[in-house]
Amino acid sequence: MSEKPTVEQYQKYIQDRDFHAIKCKSCGAVIAPPKGMCYSCGGRDLEWVKVSGNGKLVSFTVIHVAAEEFQDEAPYFVGIIDLEEGTRITARLLDLDPNDPSKVQLGMPMKLDYQTGKSGRVYLGFRPA
Amino acid sequence: MPLRETNIVSGAQTKFGKLEGVTLREMFAEAVEKATIGSGIPLEDIQAAFIGTFIPEMLVHQGHTAPLLADYAGLRGLPATRHEAACASGATAIRAAIMAIESGMYDTVLVAAAEKMTSVSTNKATEALAAAADDEFESSMGLTFPGVFAIAAVAHMQEYGTTEEDMALVAVKAHHNAAKNPLAQFQKEITLEKAMTPRYIAWPLKLFDCSPISDGAAAIVLTNNERAKQYTDTPVKIIGTGQASASMNLCDRKNLTSFEASVRASRIAYEMAGLQPKDIDVAVVHDCFTIAEIIATEDLGFFKPGEGAKAVREGVTAMDGDMPINPMGGLKAVGHPVGATGVKQAVVIYRELIGEASANQVPKHDIGLMHNFGGTGATCVVNIMRRADA
Repeated sequence: MSEKPTVEQYQKYIQDRDFHAIKCKSCGAVIAPPKGMCYSCGGRDLEWVKVSGNGKLVSFTVIHVAAEEFQDEAPYFVGIIDLEEGTRITARLLDLDPNDPSKVQLGMPMKLDYQTGKSGRVYLGFRPA
Repeated sequence: MPLRETNIVSGAQTKFGKLEGVTLREMFAEAVEKATIGSGIPLEDIQAAFIGTFIPEMLVHQGHTAPLLADYAGLRGLPATRHEAACASGATAIRAAIMAIESGMYDTVLVAAAEKMTSVSTNKATEALAAAADDEFESSMGLTFPGVFAIAAVAHMQEYGTTEEDMALVAVKAHHNAAKNPLAQFQKEITLEKAMTPRYIAWPLKLFDCSPISDGAAAIVLTNNERAKQYTDTPVKIIGTGQASASMNLCDRKNLTSFEASVRASRIAYEMAGLQPKDIDVAVVHDCFTIAEIIATEDLGFFKPGEGAKAVREGVTAMDGDMPINPMGGLKAVGHPVGATGVKQAVVIYRELIGEASANQVPKHDIGLMHNFGGTGATCVVNIMRRADA
């Protein structure tokens, strides 16, 4: 895992259901999705890192009107997860009822998983831990 | 130090809405004609054109719009350049024009902007709008534009207790103001009950929380102090301008209840103008969604964080309130032809400050502010204007 992280490989890891984040070799900050440099220290020496997959729900929505490509999947959740490694990622939320979103609690613990869309594309997902 | 030389001497917009049978170039030309010849400014006086369009490539299969639109509008051979910053395209064009005037390079320039959105399906327009978010990391998993603001709304509701009803009240106010504005897409009042109709676009945002898909164009003429007197007795000076960027991704933002670029752009503009939020008499803010107006009024410093909803409930932001916000109806009820919106906002402030806002005239109108937001808030432009004799 020593090669320079690329956006293409980041997406490929998700498609392979093997999520990797990026770690700054200078300050140790964990970064996802990819940046051209470390958001914390400005370092440019970056490497791949595996994460625990544990996080907390920061906020979310339920998409009812989607772009053409996703309309058949609606309604579906999209949320922001704060990973315990200290970075936030946007993902689909799984195992929750999109027709009863008011029951979803912000701050609830979530666990990394994946969802395959109707097109065959794999989305990063999180389900209640 | 306040800007010295930039004067708005005319401003006009087309009607906003579904403009059947009117193409992008035709609506653009209509706005330009009203702001120039129709306002006593000969086309020959215009030395350059700064043009805002967002995504005509996807909406009407047309790129390279600046020379095309300028030429059609009769501005033959002039330097014409397109400025694109999603929904802030119009305001970034204004900023380029401000720099052109302040530098002394040109005496008189045109800023004009247009978008034709209703010739494609709602899903296709949603897809085009989503191009203003981060495709690689957010849109590609199905996050939409309303979804971005819905995520902000959920965070704001959790942090400050803002409710769906508070957001609906913003829509009711917008429709109330637009009902008197003949150029608005929706010229009718709505009840709170109607605004609360549970037709979700991106929960908790409902149909009436969202600005519509619209066609429309707007134009202003900017000129220096010497020329301004030739065109009008009541020029409006742009005295402060600020622009800032933020991460495109929501997930890279530590705070979802405030838009960092709005805070930064407005502080730059206030400092340049030598003014504070309390000095502003009237403001137009980027209410692409009702929650966006609530958050903008906090980010611009009119109200403390978390108190934007209270101001709506108490009527402070109404046309006759202490801090009128979007007195002509905002994006929500006047319409939001994306690229045109920033220039239309300048037209609204211009009309309010010179006292020609008809039934939408606010009582106190010396100093006004426009706040134009691009995409997910990754771009924000704030311009502060003062009537020259104020």
